[in-house]
Amino acid sequence: MLSEKERNIVDYLSSRGQATSDQISKDLGMDYSSVLSLLELLKSKGIVDIEVNEEEEVELTEEGKERATKGLPEEVLINEILKGKEVKINDVKDKMGEDFKIAITWGKKKNLIEVEGGVVKPKVEHYVSPELETLRNPNPNSPFIDVLVKRGLLKKGKKVIAKVTLLKPIASQTEMITTLTHDILVNESWKNKEFRPFNVEAFPPFFPLAKKHFFKEFLDKLKDVMVGLGFKEIVTDYIEIEFYNFDLLFQPQDHPAREIHDSFSIKGNGNVKDSNLISNVKEMHEKWWKYTWNPDISKRLLLRSHTTATTARTLASGPTPPFRSFTIGKVFRPDAIDATHILEFHQLDGLIIEEDFSFKDLLGVLKEIFARIGIEKVKFKPAYFPFTEPSVEAYGLIGKLGWVELSGAGMLRPEILEAVRVKGRAGAWGLGIERLAMLYTGTDDVRKLYSYDIEYLRDRKVSLRW
Amino acid sequence: MVTINLNRERLLKKLNLREDELEDLLFNLKSESKVSGDSIEIEVNADRPDLFSSDGLKRAIDGLKERAVGEPKYPVFESDYELKVEEVRKRPYAIAAIVKEIKLDEEYLKEIIQLQEKLHATIGRKRKKVAIGIHDLGKITSKTIVYKEVPLDYKFVPLGERRLLEVKEVLQSTNQGKEYGNISIDQDRGTMPAIMEENGNVMSIPPVINSEHTRITQKSKDLFIDVTGTSLHAVLQTINILISNLAEGGGKIYSVKIHSRDRIDIMKREELVIDKLRVQKVLGLRLDEKEIQHLLAKDRIDYFLESSSIIIPPYRVDIIRDEDIAEDIAMMYGYSKIEPQRFVSYKLGTYDNITLIERTIKELSIGAGFQEVFTYVLTKKDNLIGDYVVIENPISDEYNAVRNSLIPVILDFLSKNQHSRFPVKIFESGDIVVRNKDNETGYKNERMLTIALMDSKAGYEEIQSPLHQILLNLSIQPKYSSKESPYFIKGRSASVIIGNNEEIGSLGEIRPELLKKFDIKYPVAIAEISLNKILTHVY
Repeated sequence: MLSEKERNIVDYLSSRGQATSDQISKDLGMDYSSVLSLLELLKSKGIVDIEVNEEEEVELTEEGKERATKGLPEEVLINEILKGKEVKINDVKDKMGEDFKIAITWGKKKNLIEVEGGVVKPKVEHYVSPELETLRNPNPNSPFIDVLVKRGLLKKGKKVIAKVTLLKPIASQTEMITTLTHDILVNESWKNKEFRPFNVEAFPPFFPLAKKHFFKEFLDKLKDVMVGLGFKEIVTDYIEIEFYNFDLLFQPQDHPAREIHDSFSIKGNGNVKDSNLISNVKEMHEKWWKYTWNPDISKRLLLRSHTTATTARTLASGPTPPFRSFTIGKVFRPDAIDATHILEFHQLDGLIIEEDFSFKDLLGVLKEIFARIGIEKVKFKPAYFPFTEPSVEAYGLIGKLGWVELSGAGMLRPEILEAVRVKGRAGAWGLGIERLAMLYTGTDDVRKLYSYDIEYLRDRKVSLRW
Repeated sequence: MVTINLNRERLLKKLNLREDELEDLLFNLKSESKVSGDSIEIEVNADRPDLFSSDGLKRAIDGLKERAVGEPKYPVFESDYELKVEEVRKRPYAIAAIVKEIKLDEEYLKEIIQLQEKLHATIGRKRKKVAIGIHDLGKITSKTIVYKEVPLDYKFVPLGERRLLEVKEVLQSTNQGKEYGNISIDQDRGTMPAIMEENGNVMSIPPVINSEHTRITQKSKDLFIDVTGTSLHAVLQTINILISNLAEGGGKIYSVKIHSRDRIDIMKREELVIDKLRVQKVLGLRLDEKEIQHLLAKDRIDYFLESSSIIIPPYRVDIIRDEDIAEDIAMMYGYSKIEPQRFVSYKLGTYDNITLIERTIKELSIGAGFQEVFTYVLTKKDNLIGDYVVIENPISDEYNAVRNSLIPVILDFLSKNQHSRFPVKIFESGDIVVRNKDNETGYKNERMLTIALMDSKAGYEEIQSPLHQILLNLSIQPKYSSKESPYFIKGRSASVIIGNNEEIGSLGEIRPELLKKFDIKYPVAIAEISLNKILTHVY
């Protein structure tokens, strides 16, 4: 079997019988050394015979290449510096720099100039070096070869020239099938023809395979877990009213978490349509926190700082128990951006309302959710959140990392349920997703979850397990 | 979380604990500890300010270890000091108490200052709501203390100074003055609140600074404490926590007679009747009354069987109703001992329709050979065109607006991938934010799908044909209507129309001037459609 390149050489030879390696390289546009090695291969396969000779060749040195384009220094001196006039030797030196000595030496030698009393005088008005032509087109037979070699502008070498003779006639390329086409199949011209072989062992060129984004897949799987557990997905907007982000969640208006630097504010005010709800929330704040609640503060707009805002909206919609809902969405917080912090990230928030839901039930829900994402061991720590009581933080045992804080949860404060007029008891929880996603997807920098480098996405292997 | 710093050796000695024991006990008090050198950092939850000093920690841990149970009763003796509260418009409430026989040394003094500062930061809302002044009683010459407004040219020697300064100089030239001076100054009347001796000596100008004259030192034995603020409730809570902790540390509390419009008693203990059944149901635990009583005793709270009630210790400002008591009972019972109730799901839940359409359209886009990408919602104003939401308090110019289209974000993505292997075919489904006057916020999210091609050539048809097939697969027959767009080359720009003339998106070849703006040197074709708009047609 012949490779594509071997085939090209054989095709070339079949039309002319004989050729030199030089001609093959030029005519087929192939690299000279690879032509030589391909010819050796063809010889070993008994397809061609080659006769190797060495020819003298001359090659330009680096300096030679430069002179070939710019001209020899003495030529430059006559034509560009002197221009038929006398010039002070120091001026020549300044203008020519390193080439000065060469120009003076060869100018004297060739009797082109005279140097006297610190002045260079030209003897000719214009000059073209006869050896320049040889330099531009090196011909081993030129009389100037030796002088140019001596000036270090050319070097002599030897070139291997192979004279090639085709021994076996081989079916030419045109008679072989390169691409199998509809026409060939219809007219059956493939019969009695060979298929041009391909180098099937070579690696292929790049193919832009498309796939899902690994972090979005993780979010999808979390959704599947929640839906599998009987929860209804709720989606709400990024722009939120403080009323839902804070007030309804029992966060007093002077609470430190409501300070300007803890959320992104948006110009303008929102307008809560349910006036009963507004008065209930006002009453809740004034009764329990003992201050005068300001409706204007509650109207301010912001980018939601937690998905509990979605839970608040769900509660405000008046769900009747038994009720199970969840949301997975982005939240926004001002922070310094680094390997573990970005300005927008995802949270999962869950809500269960039942006639008789208890803290013990809540711990069971958390345990089950974590079991479904492969975290078998969990432990619970007392915690504080403004909107839940009792409150708990759930920790999961994750491989080498040990106990990792996963979720904040608790029984929704009765004040909130009273304000939204929801009967029964409710458990709620929230968890940050990015850190979990980093653990599951083996990502060391949270910013890689939002990589703007397509090669990173292309090179990421798909996960075979969850 | 509030972090307090204590001397490690001293704390362990005071609590009579080993370090690992301390860590476990704190875990059950919602707190965490971290040792660094000679000191120990304790993170306490903001709802338990009574734990902001070693005295409060000792009280709680003594209960957990059952070294001391039930409410610690700190007697309140009467003193012959009085506080006259006059009208102070910007900061109307003031209260005072005396704690005697305090054994101060360098560490304890530091701790009391720390407790004061942490109370300022939390309940005090950075001194806006509450501020505390602690004075050496021995240096106070009069039995009558007055809280009133003083003019800004009134003079006193503030803490850390040697000479008399006018109040306004103090506000302008001291660090505390600059930081807190604006809180209670009455600009209209040109006054500041002041706690003063009867003879006119200023003891403090709350919430800014005390006087040098009444400075507490390690030699101080008896303390005069004033608390002022804008909320009577918070002022009372603060003084109660402070003096309860000092009393736990060995001090004796003396009341100061308060003359004011409001009737104010320090260390008032409220009764709370507990609905036992409700507590049991909230927790899901069957606890009999004796157990409840025992657990609350460990929590340093007295429970009375006859009346099913508790007395809320004055320093426990976090307890307002049954659920708060339920949490305390659970903490004393031990969260680790509560066996989670096995969760049963009776039926499958549901996905939001937007999730369903998104999943389908993502499959189709991948089938069309587009790689999914995930970009940020926040971007810079410069990248966006048209009406978009601006962040009022951005922390970086790179993220000062909310995207109103995926196209600029996708162009930003492409501009960073010009050296990658071509062709670059990407898609994203993600939310943008647009105006919507019907919503309570005036805005709404819209889920968009954007498919994009960047290659040595990227023509209109090369993005139109995959889009067309995606829509046909959703049983949607689109029409394309030539339309000018700021994104696309004129004559190579169209809207996508479905159903009854509804525009669901647009497509085209990106304008060279826009490519130049994003520093993109290859042609790009993009289509963007709204999944929310498609939803109304497919379901």
